[in-house]
Amino acid sequence: MFSFTKEQQTLEISGIHIGGQPGKNPTTLIGGLFFKGAPDYDFAEQHLQTMMHLSKKTGNPAIPDFFIKKEDYLQDIITFIETSLPRTQPFCVDIIDSAIKIKTLELLHQKNLLDRTIYNSIHIGITPQERFALQQHPPAAAIIVAFNPKDRSPDGKIEVLENGAHLTDQGLLQIAYSLGIKKILVDTAALAPGENSGAAIAAIPVIKEEYGLPTGCAIHNVVEKSKWLQQFPTAKKSVDASSNASIPLFGGDFAIFGPIEHAEAVFPIIAWYDILISEYTENYFGVNPSDSHPRRKLFQ
Amino acid sequence: MNTEYYPWGGDFTACTPDGSVAVVLLTINYTPPETVAIYGSLKTENIGIEKIIANVISNPHIRFLFLCGEDIRGHRSGSSLIALHKNGIDEQHKIIDAPGAIPYIENLDQNALQRFQQQIEIVDLIGEHDTKKITTLIHQYTAKTTQPFGEPYIAIRIKPETQISINDKRALHSKITINYRGKVKKRG
Repeated sequence: MFSFTKEQQTLEISGIHIGGQPGKNPTTLIGGLFFKGAPDYDFAEQHLQTMMHLSKKTGNPAIPDFFIKKEDYLQDIITFIETSLPRTQPFCVDIIDSAIKIKTLELLHQKNLLDRTIYNSIHIGITPQERFALQQHPPAAAIIVAFNPKDRSPDGKIEVLENGAHLTDQGLLQIAYSLGIKKILVDTAALAPGENSGAAIAAIPVIKEEYGLPTGCAIHNVVEKSKWLQQFPTAKKSVDASSNASIPLFGGDFAIFGPIEHAEAVFPIIAWYDILISEYTENYFGVNPSDSHPRRKLFQ
Repeated sequence: MNTEYYPWGGDFTACTPDGSVAVVLLTINYTPPETVAIYGSLKTENIGIEKIIANVISNPHIRFLFLCGEDIRGHRSGSSLIALHKNGIDEQHKIIDAPGAIPYIENLDQNALQRFQQQIEIVDLIGEHDTKKITTLIHQYTAKTTQPFGEPYIAIRIKPETQISINDKRALHSKITINYRGKVKKRG
């Protein structure tokens, strides 16, 4: 449980506050809507409602993360976002393919949804065309993935943020700011087991102290990729959900916790750790929890 | 099995040590025959590819690398591996003409890449889901008479265990300090 010397930024994204000193704002939980094959909107709606209910009950902000893998699905997913999410609810668009990223930005602009959009993500593979599209249609916020294929340590992650590690012409932070993206979340890039996956957690306080930016990761990915854990199918679910607790415990601000259907397991665990962290950081560092903090729910 | 084979651990299965075929599984549910040297999945177009190359060139008996199943969406890891075999990397270590999102090779040197290009013939079955057809082809290639490609090439070694000293004051990281209460501060 930490307090940072560097001033910490709290970002407000369409009503949700992310970042700050540990114990101030609750951990934001980002749940993925991945879909096998064509999107199932009944499934999406049902699990979104469950996640929003859990968010209200615990105090942990919830953000859906829409994985868009095919251009064919783009229009429908954006229409779903437009019509089914609460009007001020921020959301992530999670896209690998650069061409689909560009088309998504254009569509979000046409639908006036960019002020609620968290772009997931900017990384060293950013193309000139993607940069142009981001400059034309800057989203409210962007997640920068600090993945450095050469050096997976916290130092390597800082290197890509700072100077691009010779893979991009500028550091990723500079690139994002120069494109007009004002709100940046840093994802410390959790890799597969055996690939220095723990560095994603160790990097959280290092990056928070270096930049003061909201920082987190998708530590769930490490659990998902573990072949070793497959021999413990019952425990795997609890390991998966509880792995997210390492993020707030190391001072982090958000957890990209995997499939949205895991929300029921994840929200109470994270709320619980947020409460413990707040108790300590208020007593030792004088950090008052925000009005919506899970610790305030404890006394209701 | 030669203990030098397959120095980079991961999600793969080693079968016949002197088999001439290695199989990369993209998006496909398939178990290759036991006659292959090694098989495993490929997910990412950077570290995943590096791992395959390091392990394949560690076993000189492997001369054919099969890629089968649908390519990984967005990452295009299979196509990026083929691009690497064909074109190599540029000055920024990016795989030339690779379609993947982050196709960088950072942990292997040019010698290792050249060895991969020379030792291995790619059998491109990307998009192929007919497992019977794949197995038949694997048997055909396994039956070919091939010579080992010299000695094992060890492109990467697991780091030796480091000694931890209880007097180490780095706490979480060399650039930050942390006091007994948990106050984090940058050094200097």
